[in-house]
Amino acid sequence: MKKKGFLKSLVPMTTMVSLVVALSIMTVPTTQAAETINIGFLAALSGPDAGWGLPGITGNQIFIDRVNAEGGLLVGGKRYKLKMYAFDDEATGSKALQGARQLVLEHDVKFISAIGGTPADATHPFLSKKKVFYATLISTDIMPDRPYLIGGGDVTPRIDMLRPWYHKFNNPNLKRWAVTSQDETIGRTCQAWEVGSAIAEGWDVVYDKHFSLETTDFAPVVTAILATKPDVVSLNLTWPDYVTLIIEQLYLQGFKGIISGNYIDTESVLQKVPAEYMEATKSANSFPLFDDPWWGEPSWQHEFIKEWNAKYGPGAPGDVHRKITGIDWDHMIMLMVWAHGAQLAGTFDPDKILEALRAAKSIPTILGPAVMYGKEMWGIDNMVSPPIPIAEVKADCKCKRIQAHIKFEEWFEARKDTIIKVVKDKGQYFDQRK
Amino acid sequence: MELTTFVQTIANSVVAGSIYATVAVGLALAFGVMQMANHAHGEFFMLGAYVVYVFYALGGMPFPLAVLAAIPTIAIIGLLTERLIFRPTRGNVLAGFMATAGLTWVLQTAAGRIWGLAFMKMIPTPYMGAANIAGAQIGWQRVLIIPAACILLGLLWFFLHRVRWGKALRACAQDPEAAALQGISINKMTALAMGIAGAYAGVAGALLAPIHAVTPYMGRDLLITAFIVVIVGGMSSIEGAVLAAFLLGFIHTFVTTIFDATSAVMVGVAFMAIILIVKPTGLMGRVKA
Repeated sequence: MKKKGFLKSLVPMTTMVSLVVALSIMTVPTTQAAETINIGFLAALSGPDAGWGLPGITGNQIFIDRVNAEGGLLVGGKRYKLKMYAFDDEATGSKALQGARQLVLEHDVKFISAIGGTPADATHPFLSKKKVFYATLISTDIMPDRPYLIGGGDVTPRIDMLRPWYHKFNNPNLKRWAVTSQDETIGRTCQAWEVGSAIAEGWDVVYDKHFSLETTDFAPVVTAILATKPDVVSLNLTWPDYVTLIIEQLYLQGFKGIISGNYIDTESVLQKVPAEYMEATKSANSFPLFDDPWWGEPSWQHEFIKEWNAKYGPGAPGDVHRKITGIDWDHMIMLMVWAHGAQLAGTFDPDKILEALRAAKSIPTILGPAVMYGKEMWGIDNMVSPPIPIAEVKADCKCKRIQAHIKFEEWFEARKDTIIKVVKDKGQYFDQRK
Repeated sequence: MELTTFVQTIANSVVAGSIYATVAVGLALAFGVMQMANHAHGEFFMLGAYVVYVFYALGGMPFPLAVLAAIPTIAIIGLLTERLIFRPTRGNVLAGFMATAGLTWVLQTAAGRIWGLAFMKMIPTPYMGAANIAGAQIGWQRVLIIPAACILLGLLWFFLHRVRWGKALRACAQDPEAAALQGISINKMTALAMGIAGAYAGVAGALLAPIHAVTPYMGRDLLITAFIVVIVGGMSSIEGAVLAAFLLGFIHTFVTTIFDATSAVMVGVAFMAIILIVKPTGLMGRVKA
């Protein structure tokens, strides 16, 4: 009880206060006619990676509609309407570069929402030259030679680093940590940060391997993991579709320890596994649900989900024929940060926006107040770092509920030497990945 | 490796082999008759899974009926593919292959447009829980694959060896010109082969839908495995495909368990390369006169 109280009180009402302040800044009424500032959405809108891109358009559009309904974004005493242009990069470098050129040269966008990975590698020379913000979902794209690439709205890999602490804190007698994720650049980097953190927290890492992207049958993967007799099976940044299939196998092959992961799509998993099993195995992960009572009433999170359902839910004008996912709001976090930075700076000049964001003691995001951080992880303070929510699956509601909301920076400062050494040993530090 | 892990790995291998065999056998059949290299075979598999999604997950139809519904549905798509693509490109394997590569894209896009993109479709597991077989825990849905594969492969063998039309198919596969001289209609046989290939891919997708990530792109990775199986088995040999499916199932599963899943993919492809070097016609393929 005491522990839970501690965890839940780490970042309580500051989220709400910051958001209310931020939104009020954006909504000061004015009679001046508004100019338009274009922003871009450059991500996979089709193909296998579309799940990380396409839904993000909804969240960005909700933010844009909200700002425009209030007369526009107030920057330097003047209102600017926002307009979004989307380009499908199909998660390929060449398409992404084509899209970046089109968005910048034809539409003069000042900010681009993206997934990252290969498209980030392909576009950064052009976008750096043009001084256009490129916001990736995952922080691993941040590098010192990409001054206008910002990331971190997505909790990866900070959630993967904090989960070893969370489970150790709640279960000090457990020792054996197994971790797996798909074999691709982001998975390798994120897993290295998790392994470093697990070691720093005193776990014995008994399984640390990747599975191929072509894997269709996870039974042998799980058999191999369980052969190491782990107390915790962590799925790191394993993609949600794989997560469901791996958890199903953990259940079928009789695993009784703790399951932990970056993102567990509860609804999908519960089609395959009883809710009681998920509760018993803790199933800790991030990407909280915005209808979680933990956020409080009223809250921006609850309002967002209502607005999303009204615009994109069943029977709505823009019905997208699916339920809301974490990706629907994930991209929007960075758009909000950029907009806030422009307001603080009083200009759309990217250097001044960065300067203002780095100087800010608190940047409002939908996950809570953030700071610009990351120099020791990525070589530059371009990671937006809000507190990290950790949720567990609960059987009574068949949903996940927030158990902790943790500030990353203090935790990292106390352990960084051990963690960075492991990451370097695995060749995944930012200056080793060029 | 501990005994429990070993038994579990054997069980996993048998299930994997059954899956590969069910998926690959249609591909081998289509190639055997008039060399129809169907690049869209993986998408037939995907559509079979979507039939289960629509009828079972959305429509509430009992799972076995939804699986049965996939058979005629995808068989018809197979027939249409033969009529619209393979028949006009007959005699040009590459043209048929490339045209069906285009069909792959069309079917993926259509599925995405109709049923949406984002993450996998939610399909409840019809038979939750696991069977304990000699210490190995296998989900009931996966256990079901083994007898289903045996029945499907047995039916195909019976059809090809005991039924007149099946014998005609084999004759056509061995020597189309001689078969035509005997009064066998090549058009009917190619249509029949593609209908059966579609039905088998469809039923495989339908059976696997609850244990697979159902997305418009789910056929892509399995197609690669299916081609490896067909090439290793001998391009037009059904028996060879079944043998190769189980060999590859055991190799993939054991290498994954002992080493890792990334190495398993490499070893699988290396296995294909070695077979082709040692026996270029595949395990049970024959050189045509």
